[in-house]
Amino acid sequence: MRGGGGGPFGQHAIEETLTRHDATQVLRRLRPFLRPYRGRIILSILLLIGQTSCLLAGPALVRHGIDAGLKPHDAGALNLSALLYLFAAIAGLFFGRAVIRMVAKVGEAFLRDLRSRVFRHLMSLGMDFFEREKTGTLVARMTSDMDALQELVQMGLVMFVQNGLLFVGAILVIFLMSWKLAICTLVVVPPVVIASRWFRRASNKAYLLVRDRIGQNLSTLQEGLAGVRVVQAFGRERAFTRRFKETNEAQYDANIETVRISAKYFPIVEFAGVAGIAIIVGIGGAFVSADIVTVGTVAAFVLYLNNLFEPIQQLSQLYNTLQQAGAALQKLFELLDERPSIAERPGAVDLPEEGGLELEHVSFGYGAEDVLHDITLRVPLGERLALVGPTGAGKSTLAKLIARFYDPREGNVEYADVDLRDATLRSLRERIVVVPQEGFLFAGSVRDNIIVGKPDATDEEIRDAIAALGLGDRFDAFPDGLDTEVRERGSRLSAGEKQLVSLVRAALADPALLVLDEATSSLDPGTERTVERALGRLTEGRTVVVVAHRLSTAARADRIAVVDDGHVPELGTHDELIAHEGRYASLYAAWDSRAAMGRAS
Amino acid sequence: MRGTLGSQRPTLALGVLAGVSWTAAKISVPLLAAGAIDNGILPGNSQAILVYSLVIVAVGVVQGLSSGFRRYCAFRIAYRSETDLRQRLFAHLQRLHFAFHDEAQTGQLMARANTDIFQINQAVILIPLTIASSLTLVGVVAVMALQSVPLTLLALGALPLLNISATRFSKRMQPVTTQLQAKLGDLTAVVEESVAGVRAVKGFGSERLQERQLDHEADEVRDHSLETARLRSGFLPLVDFLPALALVAILWYGGHLVLNGELQLGYIVAFNSYVLMLIWPLRMAGMLVAQASRASAAAGRLDAILVTDPEVVDKPGARALPPGPGEIRFEKVAFGYQGGRPIFTDLDLLIRGGEAVAVVGTTGTGKTTVARLVPRFYDVDEGRVLLDGMDVRDVKIHDLRRSIGIVFEDTFLFSDTVRDNIAFADPQAPMETVRGAARLAGADEFIDNMPDGYETIVGEYGYSLSGGQRQRLAIARAVLADPRVLILDDATSSVDPTKEHEIRAALREVMSGRTTLIIAHRPATIALADRVVLLDGGRVVAEGTHDDLLERSERYREVLAQAAAVEAASTVERVQ
Repeated sequence: MRGGGGGPFGQHAIEETLTRHDATQVLRRLRPFLRPYRGRIILSILLLIGQTSCLLAGPALVRHGIDAGLKPHDAGALNLSALLYLFAAIAGLFFGRAVIRMVAKVGEAFLRDLRSRVFRHLMSLGMDFFEREKTGTLVARMTSDMDALQELVQMGLVMFVQNGLLFVGAILVIFLMSWKLAICTLVVVPPVVIASRWFRRASNKAYLLVRDRIGQNLSTLQEGLAGVRVVQAFGRERAFTRRFKETNEAQYDANIETVRISAKYFPIVEFAGVAGIAIIVGIGGAFVSADIVTVGTVAAFVLYLNNLFEPIQQLSQLYNTLQQAGAALQKLFELLDERPSIAERPGAVDLPEEGGLELEHVSFGYGAEDVLHDITLRVPLGERLALVGPTGAGKSTLAKLIARFYDPREGNVEYADVDLRDATLRSLRERIVVVPQEGFLFAGSVRDNIIVGKPDATDEEIRDAIAALGLGDRFDAFPDGLDTEVRERGSRLSAGEKQLVSLVRAALADPALLVLDEATSSLDPGTERTVERALGRLTEGRTVVVVAHRLSTAARADRIAVVDDGHVPELGTHDELIAHEGRYASLYAAWDSRAAMGRAS
Repeated sequence: MRGTLGSQRPTLALGVLAGVSWTAAKISVPLLAAGAIDNGILPGNSQAILVYSLVIVAVGVVQGLSSGFRRYCAFRIAYRSETDLRQRLFAHLQRLHFAFHDEAQTGQLMARANTDIFQINQAVILIPLTIASSLTLVGVVAVMALQSVPLTLLALGALPLLNISATRFSKRMQPVTTQLQAKLGDLTAVVEESVAGVRAVKGFGSERLQERQLDHEADEVRDHSLETARLRSGFLPLVDFLPALALVAILWYGGHLVLNGELQLGYIVAFNSYVLMLIWPLRMAGMLVAQASRASAAAGRLDAILVTDPEVVDKPGARALPPGPGEIRFEKVAFGYQGGRPIFTDLDLLIRGGEAVAVVGTTGTGKTTVARLVPRFYDVDEGRVLLDGMDVRDVKIHDLRRSIGIVFEDTFLFSDTVRDNIAFADPQAPMETVRGAARLAGADEFIDNMPDGYETIVGEYGYSLSGGQRQRLAIARAVLADPRVLILDDATSSVDPTKEHEIRAALREVMSGRTTLIIAHRPATIALADRVVLLDGGRVVAEGTHDDLLERSERYREVLAQAAAVEAASTVERVQ
C-alpha cells in the first residue's frame, strides 16, 4: 500500500502554501465537522497501528529466525518464526482491508456532508455575492477543492499516517534492538530528509513553470489554429510556425528542468540507501565481532532500512496532497463564512395574496456610488409597467430590488403595504417571480425545467400551465414530450423554445407579481409571434414589471417608466409619453423609422 | 515517430548504458551484503568486512550516478520527441488548406496536439523504464536460481499474482472510476447550473429543489467512491501481502536450506532485498502494454492529420505574379464545398483594375465564396479565376496572397501588440508604414489614446477593443503591404450600425486606387461600390449601380429588405 510512484509522475504542483497559522486554524475548524465520526476515527487509527505493527514484525521475525533458529541449528525455532511471520502477513492483510474501508466510510460521509453544507450555504447567499464572484471560482469550490479533499480521503490520508507510523515505528524498533547500531545507521537519514525537502520545493517550482509554459504553448497553438485563415491569407505560415517553436521549446526547457531536478535527487537517495547498507554491514559486522549485536540484528537492520527510506520519500510527496487539501479546506471555510446579505427577519410575516407594488424614495448602489437615486414608483394591482432606458441606466437593478435580490440602501420596497424586508422569503418567492425571458435551462427533461417554478407540481398542473399559455402544440411537438432531454444532441432546444419553457415555468409558479426581463436576442418571425402571444397570456391578470429591450414591448404596456441614469424622468402611457415629446418619443421615432425599413418588403 | 527518435541515438545509447549499469549495481548490492555476512561477519574476518563495505559504497556511487543518467536520458528522449512531434504537427496544420480547417474543429486539433502527443510521450517514457525493469527481473531470477531453483520458485512464485491482480484491479476499477467521474460530472453540472442560473433559481425561489438535486448527486458520488474504496481494499493490501508471503517462504525454506548446509545465511538477507526490489517492476509490467495501446491509438489520430496533404500548394513551375492593375476575372467557374451542393456551376464575373464591386445576395448564394476563390483559399472545380490575366493556380501562392489584402468578417486579432497586428503581413515594415496604414484605416487616433499606443497588447487576453476598433485594425492590417486587390468580406456586418459610418469613411480612403471586392448586405456599405453584382442561385442575375438596381430590380430590393429585417430586430440599446 505504500507504493506510490517514485519519480515525477503523479506529482501535483501546488499554488498556495498554507502557513503554520492557517493550518492550525483549518484544523481547529475541522474539528466540529469530524466530531460525529470520532469513534470510527479512533478505530481507524488503531487499525492502522495494527497494520503497521504487522509490517514491522517481519524483519524482527527474520532476526529471530536467524538468531534462534539458524545459528543454533534449531529447526523448531525457525519454523515458529516463519509461522509467526505468516500470521503477521495475514493479519496485515486484514488490517489493511479494514483500514481502507473504514477510512473511506468516514471520509466519504464527511465529504458528502461538506458538499451538501457548502452548497446549501451557497444557495442561501444573496445576488450581490453571485455578481461579485466569478462562476468559475464558485464552481471550483465545489469541484477542484472538493477533489483535493477527495484525493486526500481516498489515498493520501491513509498513506500519510501509515508512512508516518512506519517511519517512527522502524526507528523505535531498531533502537530497541541496538541503540548503538541504530545511531550509526540513522546517520544516512538527515541527508535524505534534506534532499527530499529540497526536491519537493524545487520540483513544485519547476512544475509551476511547466504548467505556465504549457498554458502559453497551448494559447499559441490555439491562436495558430483559430487564426489559421488570417495567417494563410497573409502568407505568414512559416513565421507563425517559428513563433510556435519558441513557446514549444520553452515548454521543453521547463520539462527538462524537472528532469534535471529529479536526476539530482534520486541518485542522492539511492546512494544513501546503499551507504546505509555499507554502514550496517561494516559497523554492524564489527559489533557482531565485539558481541554487541547478533547477525540476526544486522540482517534485520538491512531490512528495516527500506522502512526508513520509503516513508521519507512518500511523506515528502504526500506533503503536497496534504497542503492542497488544507488550502482547499481553507477556501471552503472562507465561503462558509460569507454571510447571506438577504436574510429573513425574526418575526417575518407572509406577504398578502394580492396587492400593489410601491417603491418609496428608493436609492441603491452596488458599490460606493448609487445606481438608483430616490425613486418613487407605484404599480397598482394588475397594471403592466414597462421599464425603458439605455443600458446601465438602472432598469435591471430596479427589477432586482422589486424581487428583493437586493435591499435598497435608502427608502423601501413594499408589496401590498408590507415592506419586503419584513416578509418571509418563502412567501416572497411565491408572490413575486422573476423571469429572465432568455430562459436558463437546467440539464434534465423539459418537465424538470418547468417544475423549477413549483417543485411538487403534477403533470396535470404542468399541462394546465402549458395550455394556459396556448402552447399545447409546441410542447407536444417535442420528440419525447415533457420527457425530452433539453441538452441532448438532436433535441437541443432552440432559443425560442427555451423562452417558451421559461414562460411556462413562470405560469406554473403562478405569481401575483411578475418581474420580466425581456430577451434581447431576436427570433425568427414565426416563433417571435408565438412567444409574444404566450407572453400576453402569461401577463394577463397579473401585476407585471417588464424590463423592456424592445420598444414594441414597451408600447404594449399599460404604462412606461423611462429609466435614465438612476432616475425616472418620464412616466406615463405610450400616448402620453409620445405627446410629451421627451426621451421616449425620440427613441420611439428612431426605432420606428428603422423598423419601417424592415417592413418595406 | 521513428524519425524523431532516430535523431537522438546518442542519448538513447547513453541511456541504455546507464540503465544496464544501474541494474547491475542494484543487483550486486544485496549479493555484496550477503558476501559480507557470510565471508566477513560469520567467520569474524574484519578485513573482509571492511573490504565488502568499501566495495558496497563504490557500487553505491555507480548506482547513484547511473540512476541520474538513465532518468535524464529517458525523459529527455521522451520530451524531445514530444516537442518535435508537436512542432511538426503545428507546421503541418499551418499549411493545410481551408477546406481541412472548415471540417476540423479547433478543439479536436488541440486535443491532437495536446492529449494525444502526451499519450505518446508517456509511452516513450515507459520504454526505458520497462527495459530496466525487465533487466532487473532477469538478473534477480538468474542470481537466485544459481543458488537454489526450488527456493527461487517458492519465493517468486507468488509474485506474478501481483501483476495479475494489478491488471484485474485496474480492469475492475476502470468502469467504476468512469462512473464516478460521470457522477462527479453530474454534481458539477448541478453546481454550475445553480450558480450560472442563480437568477432563475432565486427568481423562482427554487433553492430547495437544487439542494435536493445536489444531495442526490452527492449521495451518488459517495456511493460510487465507496465502491472504489471497496475495490481498493481488495487490491492494495495484496501489494504488501504477496511479497510478505515470499519473504516467509525465504525465511522458512531458505532457512532449512541453510540448516542443511545448502545455502549460506547471507542469502536469506539478499533474497529478502530482491523480493522488495521486484515489487515495482512487477506492478509496472502491464503498464507499457496498456500505454502502448493508448499511444498507438493517439498516433493513429495524429497520423491521419499528418498524411493529409495540403491541397492548395504551388504548382511545379508556379510563376511570380507580374505587376498589374488588379483585374479579376471569373471564367465559367464551377465550385462546391467538400461534400456540399455546388455553389456555382457557371459563374462569369469581371472586375476591372481599380474598380470597386459589391457582391450582394442572400445567405448561401455564394457571395463570400467569390471572395475566397480569388486568394485561392479553395481551388475551383471547373473554369478558372484570373488575376491580371493569370490563372491564380499558376501563380506562387505567396505572391498571390501578398497582392491581396483581406478584411474578414470576424476580425481575428493576435495576442500581440497593435503594431505587430497591423504589420502582420510584413513584420519588418518600418513604423512609418505602420502608422500610415493605421491613418488610412482611421485607426491612428484611438491607437494613440490607448495606454501603450502601438505597443498595447490586444487579442484575447489583451486590451479589449470595440467591434469598430477591431475592424479598423483589421483594415490597417489588410492595406499595410499595399495590395493591388482589397477584399472586404462582410467587413462591416459586426460593427454597430451607428458606428458604421466611421468605418465607411476609412474604407473609402483605403479603397482608392485599388481593385476592391465588397461582400456586404448593408446598403450604406454597398453604396461604396462603383458597381453592384447581385448573385442568386449561383449566378449573376443583375448588375448596375446601387441606385440603379434599387430602382429596377425587384429581387435586389427583396434581398436588401430581408437583410434589413434581421438588423431591425436589434435592440433599442443599439439604436441609442
